[in-house]
Amino acid sequence: MTATTSTTGAPPSGTAVHRVTFWRVLRAEWIKFRTLRSTVWTAVVTAVVMVGFALMMAAVMRASTENPEMQEGMAQDPGLQAMGMTGTTVITLGYSFGQLAIAVLAALVVTNEYSTGMVRSTFAAVPHRLPALWAKLVVIVVATVVIISLALGVAYLVTMPLLDDAGLAVDLSEPDQVRALLGCVLYLATVAAFSLAVGTLMRHTAGAIFTLVALFFVLPIIFSIVVSATDAAWTDQVNKLLPSVAGERIIATGPTPDTLLEPWTGYGVLAAYTVVLLVGAAVAIRRRDA
Amino acid sequence: MIEARDLSKRYGDKLAVDDVSFTVRPGVVTGFLGPNGAGKSTTMRMIMGLDRPTAGTVTVNGRPYAQHRAPLAEVGALLEAKAVHPGRTARQHLQTLAATHGIPDTRVDEVIDLTGLTAVARKRVGGFSLGMGQRLGIAVALLGDPRTLILDEPVNGLDPEGVLWVRNLARYLAEQGRTVFLSSHLMSEVALTADHVIVIGKGRILADTPVQELLDGASRRRVRVRTPQGTDLTEALRREGAEVQVSDDGALDVAGLDAPRVGELAARAAVVLHELTPVSSTLEDAYMALTAESVEYHAEDVPAVPATTSQGAER
Repeated sequence: MTATTSTTGAPPSGTAVHRVTFWRVLRAEWIKFRTLRSTVWTAVVTAVVMVGFALMMAAVMRASTENPEMQEGMAQDPGLQAMGMTGTTVITLGYSFGQLAIAVLAALVVTNEYSTGMVRSTFAAVPHRLPALWAKLVVIVVATVVIISLALGVAYLVTMPLLDDAGLAVDLSEPDQVRALLGCVLYLATVAAFSLAVGTLMRHTAGAIFTLVALFFVLPIIFSIVVSATDAAWTDQVNKLLPSVAGERIIATGPTPDTLLEPWTGYGVLAAYTVVLLVGAAVAIRRRDA
Repeated sequence: MIEARDLSKRYGDKLAVDDVSFTVRPGVVTGFLGPNGAGKSTTMRMIMGLDRPTAGTVTVNGRPYAQHRAPLAEVGALLEAKAVHPGRTARQHLQTLAATHGIPDTRVDEVIDLTGLTAVARKRVGGFSLGMGQRLGIAVALLGDPRTLILDEPVNGLDPEGVLWVRNLARYLAEQGRTVFLSSHLMSEVALTADHVIVIGKGRILADTPVQELLDGASRRRVRVRTPQGTDLTEALRREGAEVQVSDDGALDVAGLDAPRVGELAARAAVVLHELTPVSSTLEDAYMALTAESVEYHAEDVPAVPATTSQGAER
């Protein structure tokens, strides 16, 4: 400690201290969000990878126009058919990676406060606690909307020449494609809210990330295998109600298969899970000791 | 002003704070003294609304903490030095908390200067020493220019200069009419800093008294006397107003008279003395005596032979 310390520096009379309002808490949460290197980097990497996925897929689509075998193979893939194969599908393709990055980012917004002890400083400043939770929700949802919109916008621009060549130009006069594009933003924003709630309920970084990766990544893979391997009806039922399987229907542009939900119904299921989890998180954050 | 009434906190089947009532007044430094695990931090967390009391109430400046509209202007707290995300700089950490109360950056820089953190304000907290973290915690406590300060073990990890600074700061803040409530597990620290002391052990209040009284009690001298005519001497001493107790080994423990006077009285009563020893008790002795029954973690007697088993490792 080389700094000099003074004991005579009187706290100035009339230090401007105002009452706590939601807007002030929101500003505080925004400062927290932007002052952590990890959040900023995760956001940048998410956007870059989403654009990269779109470029890669666009290149594949263009290559396939010159290769009839490849085209036939893709036409027969049931997964690709359910997704639909339009320009929108190509530029939103990175959502599957994006959802993991966004889920981890959103969970960390809360769990890093518990792991570092920061949460006690937060709750001392905002003893009602709920404004802090809602402010975090607003920050992570708005940040997600901005990141994903930017990523999709850039992906749209950079893939345009490739997709034109492939005859798969993004058609914004097509309602399904517009719905899928906005749906991609909406889906990932909802995943962010879902993950923030899971993080708040679990409080531990490792536990929350494990749960989210299991829900959004591992279970869908397992179920896609199980569903194709058995005829049991319950596997279809469970599969289509998984948060990601239901929610990502909003990004699909193809015809809805019998085994999956309609786009808005599917999104509604994810939204309902999210609301229930957020209510649970609000109750927990009010009741538990910090 | 902090007022706790019948405050209890139970974690599982462990009663951390047991029906505690006390008042911390403005204008003086009040020490909160007790061994580790006595319930000091739990009590302070309940004052700050971080832990919910199992029973009882606690108010700060007349209201429960959470009901204040601008809580940082009422209470500034140093609860744990590292209630900070290590990835932020000291200044950013202060700014996030200042933002909740619309406190301007000028005040943030003021508390940074006041706590001597100017040189490291733009460095990440992760690289801070314990002492620098402690200073940042104190900066946070001062941020809202609060009427009441709660400092949990503020001198932990500070160098001697820092310890002196905290002492002076606590006194200075109290002189301004603020309420200063400062915990420590060191009697000597409290004796040097506080005017009033609340002693807690195993979740119960053991003493709530001016520090001077505790000091007087501790510095009162005692004399150890050994004699074959215990009854005669006891009678003679008691007639002079001394308190006499027979200790376990048969010696007499005399309080209220000094050794020469005990010797004179013994001579006058024709009592043979085998031992006459002045025993000075220190402040720490008084504290130990007060809390001996209530220490949470007794150290096991260290075996004379180096133990080869792991028996000493259990807490």
